Amino acid sequence: MCWGVPARVISIDSDVTATVDFLSGTLKKVVIGVDDLKVGDFVIVHAGVIISKITKEDVIENINFIAEQIRETALMTGEDADKAVKEFLNMAMKILGE
Amino acid sequence: MDFSLLPKQIEAVFRENSLLAKSILSQIYQITPLAMQKLKRERIKIMNFCGSHEWTTTHYGLRYMIPKEIELIPGPGCPVCVTPSSDIENIIKLAMEGFRIYTFGDVFKLPTVKHYKKDEVGSLAVAKSMNADVQIVYSFIDAVDDAKHNKKPSIFMGIGFETTAPSYAILFERNKVPENLLFYSSLRLTAPAAEYAIKLHKDKGSIPISGVIAPGHVSTIIGAMSWDFLPKEYKIPAVVTGFEPMDVIASILKILQMIYTENISYTELEYKRVATREGNKYAQNAINKVFVVTDAIWRGIGLIPKSGLALQEKYSKYDAKEQLGIKDVPWDYDLPPNCKCAEVTLGMAYPTDCPMFMKACTPAKPWGPCMVSMEGACSVWARFGSVQKVLNIMDEVR
Ligand code: SF4
Repeated sequence: MCWGVPARVISIDSDVTATVDFLSGTLKKVVIGVDDLKVGDFVIVHAGVIISKITKEDVIENINFIAEQIRETALMTGEDADKAVKEFLNMAMKILGE
Repeated sequence: MDFSLLPKQIEAVFRENSLLAKSILSQIYQITPLAMQKLKRERIKIMNFCGSHEWTTTHYGLRYMIPKEIELIPGPGCPVCVTPSSDIENIIKLAMEGFRIYTFGDVFKLPTVKHYKKDEVGSLAVAKSMNADVQIVYSFIDAVDDAKHNKKPSIFMGIGFETTAPSYAILFERNKVPENLLFYSSLRLTAPAAEYAIKLHKDKGSIPISGVIAPGHVSTIIGAMSWDFLPKEYKIPAVVTGFEPMDVIASILKILQMIYTENISYTELEYKRVATREGNKYAQNAINKVFVVTDAIWRGIGLIPKSGLALQEKYSKYDAKEQLGIKDVPWDYDLPPNCKCAEVTLGMAYPTDCPMFMKACTPAKPWGPCMVSMEGACSVWARFGSVQKVLNIMDEVR
């Protein structure tokens, strides 16, 4: 029951509820659990409540965190850190269309 | 960019990405011996505190991809597994007495130790088969809508961790709950149980836990900083982690780095696309306004101080225990005979150590609570733990 499911906000229906699309055409009434929710926002829904919004910027931050780990380990183990990070970032940004 | 692409892109980066998996795994293999030297141990034990992480780990066969010296152990991260038998027994009794009961599907099959009336009713599923009014709902809001409509005396079985608590708290705070719907709180808090498990591993003289994969969605609510006691007080690296395979292996890599550099001062946050250090203030406010922290019983384990949530007094007209005079009773061992759920939940045993595993206890017919929910370690291992499946995935990645 702790699954977080990605969804997109279709409409804001009251001060506490919104309708989301679970990206499969399945619509569901859920509780708004975040500030400043807007139609079109991409969110994580858990047990019927929106617990978080997701933006592309946050995804890039997440990717940068992994890149940083790749760099740090490469430095520790004497690998070519720049090369390792560049390869990963190129691939990730290509997927993101950046 | 078409915004609807984002979820697919997240999957492409964090799930279906054998190149990245190879790169992170090769770094894990390089740094593991260095971390072992630093710890002066032959094994490195890393615990997860979320059933969904156990799912990712087992489903994608991550245990078979990382060095054998790293032991990934499941922790107390499944609310269904730790809901006391007495709570389910109370709810079954109320169902048999005529209340409409709303519950999540996971709780439906949960077996109790004591049965209602002469060995007959040992789960809500059996109660329903005997004409009790048990409704499976997806969320609290669905129960609220239904109860408003039908006006029947009803009770919601409120289980869950901090992630589920806002779904209740927000509706109570905004006065959206009808008075014919009572709430039976079995809410539990993860951090006190995590600390309990960490201490147990230390005290029992087994290999202590050297790293923690901290729960991504619980931390979305309470904030990554809630786990700072692990690095600060116990010098244990903790990384708040997302639920895709790349998230989990990237966090393992981070934990190994922290062990090696001994730079263990605060909780790291890998799951940056969803969680933050401070957490979700909107949800936290609602929880603080509606609930109060209480001591609570964990199934098979007993009382853990300050590890539960109960409705505050101003919401007592909704409190099922209060309104129906249900007294909290001291904990009595509440697992079925031979079930090792307590050890499994605390990371002291693997599901396969239990003599009942896939014999008398299967997902179709669970004997103990860890076999019921998709987040219970036994259920995850039963469904996805077969070595052959894991080896196939491994071959694909290599
Ligand atoms: S296999 Fe079944 S009986 Fe054994 S620990 Fe798991 S849930 Fe309990």
